[in-house]
Amino acid sequence: MLRFIAGRLVLLFVTLLAASVVVFSISEFSPGSVARKSLGPYASQEQVESLTKRLKADDPLPLRYVRWLGVLAGVIDDPLQDPATGLDFHDPRGSRYFGNLGYSTLYKMPVNDVIWDRLGNTAILAGLAFAFIIPLSMIFGVLSGMREGSKTDRTLSTLSIVLTSIPEFASSVFLVTLFVILLPLLPGTSPLTESGQWSMASQLILPVAVLVIYDFGYVARMIRISMVEVMEKPYIRTAILKGLSPRRVIMRHALRNAMIAPFTVLLLQVNFLVSGVVVTELVFAYPGFGRMLLEASLFGDITLIEAATLITVTVAVVTQLLGDIGYMLLNPQVRID
Amino acid sequence: MSDFPHAKIPQLIQDLKSGKMHRREFLRFATLLGLSATAAYGLAGGSDPLIGSARAEEMPKGGTIRIGMRCQEIKNPHASDFVERTNVIRQVCEYLTITGQDNITRPYLLEKWEASDDLKTWTITLRSGIKWHDGRPLTADDVVWNLKRVSDPATGSSVLGLFTGYLVENYETGEKDDAGKPKTSSRLWSDKAIEKVDDLTVRLNCFAPQIGVPEHLFHYPMFILDPKENGVFGVGSNGTGPFDLTEYTVGKSGKLTPRKDYWGDGPYIDALEFTDLGDNPSAAISAMASKQVDGLHEADALQINAMKGFDHVAVYDAVTAQTGVARMRQDNKPFDNPKVRLAMKLACDRAKTVGASLMGRGIVAEDHHVAPIHPEYAKLPTVERNVEEAKKLLAEAGFPDGFDTEIVTRPDPAWEINAVQALVEQFKEIGVRATIKSLPGSQYWDVWDKVPFSFTGWGHRPLGVMVLALAYRTGAVWNESGYSNPEFDKLLTEAEGTLDVEKRRAIMDKIETILQQDGPIVQPFWRTTSTVMDKRVKGFQQHPSQYLFANQLAITA
Repeated sequence: MLRFIAGRLVLLFVTLLAASVVVFSISEFSPGSVARKSLGPYASQEQVESLTKRLKADDPLPLRYVRWLGVLAGVIDDPLQDPATGLDFHDPRGSRYFGNLGYSTLYKMPVNDVIWDRLGNTAILAGLAFAFIIPLSMIFGVLSGMREGSKTDRTLSTLSIVLTSIPEFASSVFLVTLFVILLPLLPGTSPLTESGQWSMASQLILPVAVLVIYDFGYVARMIRISMVEVMEKPYIRTAILKGLSPRRVIMRHALRNAMIAPFTVLLLQVNFLVSGVVVTELVFAYPGFGRMLLEASLFGDITLIEAATLITVTVAVVTQLLGDIGYMLLNPQVRID
Repeated sequence: MSDFPHAKIPQLIQDLKSGKMHRREFLRFATLLGLSATAAYGLAGGSDPLIGSARAEEMPKGGTIRIGMRCQEIKNPHASDFVERTNVIRQVCEYLTITGQDNITRPYLLEKWEASDDLKTWTITLRSGIKWHDGRPLTADDVVWNLKRVSDPATGSSVLGLFTGYLVENYETGEKDDAGKPKTSSRLWSDKAIEKVDDLTVRLNCFAPQIGVPEHLFHYPMFILDPKENGVFGVGSNGTGPFDLTEYTVGKSGKLTPRKDYWGDGPYIDALEFTDLGDNPSAAISAMASKQVDGLHEADALQINAMKGFDHVAVYDAVTAQTGVARMRQDNKPFDNPKVRLAMKLACDRAKTVGASLMGRGIVAEDHHVAPIHPEYAKLPTVERNVEEAKKLLAEAGFPDGFDTEIVTRPDPAWEINAVQALVEQFKEIGVRATIKSLPGSQYWDVWDKVPFSFTGWGHRPLGVMVLALAYRTGAVWNESGYSNPEFDKLLTEAEGTLDVEKRRAIMDKIETILQQDGPIVQPFWRTTSTVMDKRVKGFQQHPSQYLFANQLAITA
């Protein structure tokens, strides 16, 4: 077990390294220079060149990558924080420490000061959505999978398919029209600042609702399929035939086995909720991770993009690890010793 | 004559009285030459609207005003490139001059300015008694430091571009670039260019006459910052303005609290807040609908349409010299041929374009980039659409079947791409098949002045000659079309140095005609900029440059 986890951690490290190289190289082809974007269209070529030099953005790609890696590992000082550049980049943590994600050229702040707040906001949104997606999808999935083809099954399945097929931007426009414009019950945006009469909690309702509506139907469908399969298994028939109540059959025998396959699917939703919520964040002006990543990418803020990549890759690998461990706990057949 | 700050003012008054000069033109030039706005309005008949606008005792006191606006990074005020950034900084740090909603420039941190007869020496005098928030008096040294800082290319300020040609000169550094061409840089033309006279007085010694100096001092990055802070701005920064910046999170929100000791009008509110609503236009509508914000920085025609049904929302407009031009590079085929350029202009259905891309929120333009609200504007006949004539010109130029081309634009703001789509349809009718290449903003600004054919949005400038000098003079910094016409250059220099109104209008007539017939732009319209505010917000006027002055604002409970 320990060897397994250690192996996975090594894999995580390799994946991180590979992803960071790929992202660095691809960003190289993204149009426009950061210096131009910082100074705006009306700056002269000379001004742009001078800033490019000070940002050390004209160094060759491998050199910049190794430098970024060295700064991250805390082996070298962040050259952009050198007062001689005149950039006035200053990290209160110092210019050399382990986990130095560098300086964001878009926000003109240390990446560590930008990214964790944004990630935290998205975690709130994702966590709340997840807290609704799990029970809702389980109820829908189990109820419809219990008796395949029944009226309940058909009703719930249709509902899940319909809801999942509505893209987030459409459902958000619909919800805003209904609950903000027609019946002014909820705030139309979620900037997470005290704004007028609207509490923070009220600002979370609509974005969470949009995510839940979009996502839970898909997971419910997965649980349903798995449930249908399990319900056909001989041990279920045995349980029913030995006279157990349907409730006990479902809760004791079917549910645990039916959750094995959808468990991975559920964990995959974590990845979606961390980096895939950008549409919802845009529509509701939610200051989250997805919106930040979009803006960083448009600007070409390589340190911020890299930091976001490291985080999303880590989240992906860790949820996969958790998935595998959970799989083992749920299904003794795949246990490794 | 000695009663007036400039020797030419009596002549202006004469021109006004004899009807040679329009009232608006008189106001603009008399104030630029140092006559106070109050006096100028008095002479022209009327009262200064800026003074009338803020009747302190009638303004409600207290309350918070929230504005929906992008909260961009604001660390380097002198290098600000978006009005949004400066709307935050502007509440803390101030300008030497202020151009009002009426396009008249007045002294602000200044008591007055005086221009020499040849318009080459400008003496600017600070208002006495203005103090920084930390209690230190504002002095001429502070002003000199700021003016010199923006003139240094390393600062990255766009003021440098405005100063070039009278305070700042281009020179060869002696180094060569990779292509072997000599590198050039900019510097103040002389050590004496910006000179301290006494504690409250600074003199600008220019190498060329320039009438636009007071307006350049109101260019959005031209803040007077505390030299001690070395050009860096942030929460708690020192300033002379009506507010302190107390909280600011890029991409999220900002908060400013009023100062009790402000030297000017107001502030009347307890707090000013900015909320970042992102780039999604519907988020701004939602935020107005649920009253999470009391106003927006800007609202486009589509947003205003969507908010028509909101009873609590008022729309504010400003007629501006903001525009978009489809510009053709003169050094590229087929646009090197003036007949082709003229044919493109004749293809344009201006009224239709205003309707299609601005939903009617604008007025038609005449291809010469001088707006009817500019004081030196000379009325020319409008270019009427004439498809037959355009086709004939194309045939004469050697394109009887038209030609294929590509027009570069960007997807945002929406009115730009909408205008391009409308124009492309109109060009099609004369046989010019243009494909639209829409580049993301960042990539667009790398090529905007290089590609053969593109569409460019131009900001509002109070004087027509300002933009002509920036965009169409041979070799000018922002000459995106590579336009070079010695006759035009000569006339423009003449116009910049001519104060006699009839002479100048005659010159402007010639300049505009050259651009209309030979020039590199198809200019369909002038935009009206708009925004919305909650009806509870008092004292708001839409500024043509979209500058926000929160000390003038109040809100009812």
